[in-house]
Amino acid sequence: MAVALGLFAGQKAADAAALVPELDSADYDPSGDAAALEALCDWCVRFSPAVAVDGADGLFLDITGVSHLWRGEAHMAADLIARLAANAISARAAVADTAGAAWALARFGDKRVAVVPAGGQAEALRSLPIAALRLDAAAAAQLPRLGLTRIGKIMDQPRAALARRFGMGLMLRLDQALGGLEEALAFRRPPTPWFERLAFAEPISALEDLERVTDDILAAMAERLNARGQGARRFILTFHRLDGRAHSLSAGLSRPGRTPAPIARLLKPKLGEIDPGFGIEVATLCAEDVELLAERQVRLGDDAEALAQEGVAALVDRLTARLGEGRVFRTLPVQSHVPERAVRRGEALADLTEGWDPDKPRPVRLFRQPEPIEAMALLPDNPPSRFRWRGRMHTVTRAEGPERIGDEWWRRPLDQVSSDRVRDYYRVEDAEGARFWIFRSGLYGGETQPRWWLHGLFA
Amino acid sequence: MSGSRAARLSVLKGQIAALEAGTRTLSPVLPFGDPRIDGCFPHGGLPLGRWHEVAGEGLETETAACAAGFTALMVGALARKGEVVWVLRRDDLHAPGLSNLGFPVDRLIQVCVRDEAEALAALEDALGSVGVVAAVGEVEAPDLRAGRRLQLACERRGATGFIIRRKPFGGPPRGRAEPSGSASATRWRIGAAPTQPTPWGLGPPRWRVALERCRGGRPGEWLLQQREDEDGAHPFAVVPELADHHLAPEERRRA
Repeated sequence: MAVALGLFAGQKAADAAALVPELDSADYDPSGDAAALEALCDWCVRFSPAVAVDGADGLFLDITGVSHLWRGEAHMAADLIARLAANAISARAAVADTAGAAWALARFGDKRVAVVPAGGQAEALRSLPIAALRLDAAAAAQLPRLGLTRIGKIMDQPRAALARRFGMGLMLRLDQALGGLEEALAFRRPPTPWFERLAFAEPISALEDLERVTDDILAAMAERLNARGQGARRFILTFHRLDGRAHSLSAGLSRPGRTPAPIARLLKPKLGEIDPGFGIEVATLCAEDVELLAERQVRLGDDAEALAQEGVAALVDRLTARLGEGRVFRTLPVQSHVPERAVRRGEALADLTEGWDPDKPRPVRLFRQPEPIEAMALLPDNPPSRFRWRGRMHTVTRAEGPERIGDEWWRRPLDQVSSDRVRDYYRVEDAEGARFWIFRSGLYGGETQPRWWLHGLFA
Repeated sequence: MSGSRAARLSVLKGQIAALEAGTRTLSPVLPFGDPRIDGCFPHGGLPLGRWHEVAGEGLETETAACAAGFTALMVGALARKGEVVWVLRRDDLHAPGLSNLGFPVDRLIQVCVRDEAEALAALEDALGSVGVVAAVGEVEAPDLRAGRRLQLACERRGATGFIIRRKPFGGPPRGRAEPSGSASATRWRIGAAPTQPTPWGLGPPRWRVALERCRGGRPGEWLLQQREDEDGAHPFAVVPELADHHLAPEERRRA
């Protein structure tokens, strides 16, 4: 229609407005367009788990092995286009053996929905203009001058001469379109075989229905995982609404599993968050971190211990699902002298293979940020004799130290390395017996005046 | 008439006794290894499968460092049998410090929660789980209802609970200031005590420990010190008060 009115891409806005006074114009917004395309890409996951964004205006869907869910490729493509049209997106689709052929037919074919039978791409591409080959600008400008305007003419030319004249780029694109060469697509989500999909004849929205769907889709996944003796550590359940929005829930397991009931127990409390809108028509379930189930159970000694491990794993999953990721953890050591860097949060059921140096005193409570204290030291290099912390004066009766902890200078730019970052730690006890871990940062006689900090408390 | 009444009463009493024997079997205990402490408890040691309350004074009500150290030593003896869950509202528990006290940190699962209700719920969940031998929770003031729920959770699997009472930093005190958890089996108050100095610095940690309330037992107060040369079965040594008195004047002189 736009073409019939005399409009084309790249036309000046003023010229276009002169031709069609009632033209709706919008500002050029590349980042907005890209974001919208990515949202569309996410939406397309309802059709196939492998979707790739192509350029500024295209999407690739790898529908290998999923088209039967729509009773054939043609139905699937027609469904996709119809759904896009329902959302006021005009689109064209092509199904072919190769990404290149599909690209060409979607853009230059004469049908809105084209399906190329297996192996038929050479025939289908023959009549298309060479622009359909995704060529670089130089080759695309050169070829028509030699009379090579259609892909069919290029296919008829001797390969060696073409390669000499136009470089390997042309041959690459031609081979990719015809299937001689594999093409790697950057899928937005890695294709996973662990993908389940449930579509509903009528859109659903009641909470009980969502719960039943959760059970059903988990059971379907469990059956497949079971057949391969595998379990997954993360399950992502996505509900696709009629208006194209999608809402995902995820449940993580501390040990791989596939039994539907406990996973459903983790997911169901979150179902209330879902706003079904006008209804949900598709639910998908993706299992991640799939691994063999059997190998972990070989190490287990007796039944009681296995039972205990199961119990603890279930507890960790429940707490993680309720409190959030990273809130249930086991502290693991990191090779660092800096006290706050010597620990990290690991998985709650991780094995601790090494510990910390038992000869170095470390407090039971370590503040994330050392707190400044006003300290009075008799001699510059001595621990303080008294200090004020949180408004209270503490008289130091005994002190132990110093333990000098240098800065990890290799972590920062060279010009910021200085002796001011050296810390001298003292373990001090006040008159009441409370034990503190304090440090002086910097050295006397250095560039800046040293300061005293309180970093932790001993039991 | 009165005879049959007495007979019925005795039958009922017998039934009640049988019920109580069924639910409350002789509970396992964790002995401290010192008759001066163990004598305070009804069965010669800290009752397991119950929950206990540990509190501090002054600055300790906010930092709870000594209470954490003391609890870690008690729990450490249990941790060989299963996992220990430690529920925190402030993430300042430092595992290397616990490791220094001899606590098996490879058995420790830390849970970081946002508020009191989450802490109690997580604690309850942990105590009722298979494979968890003890759970420690740092909460402000569990009310009676929460205490009963904890007790029921402890009874489900025989896990032992510890509540470290701790106020949020700087916040106003919430609810009643006095300890309220009458459902707890014991209530402890832990304060720091000056250590016995060694040639190279501070001695092993020492606490003024008061057993304020003990269900079916009697209260007591001791000066306890971490026992260093042990395999960890009895982590505490009682410091004779005499030695402490001997220490005190010297301390005054130095201060």
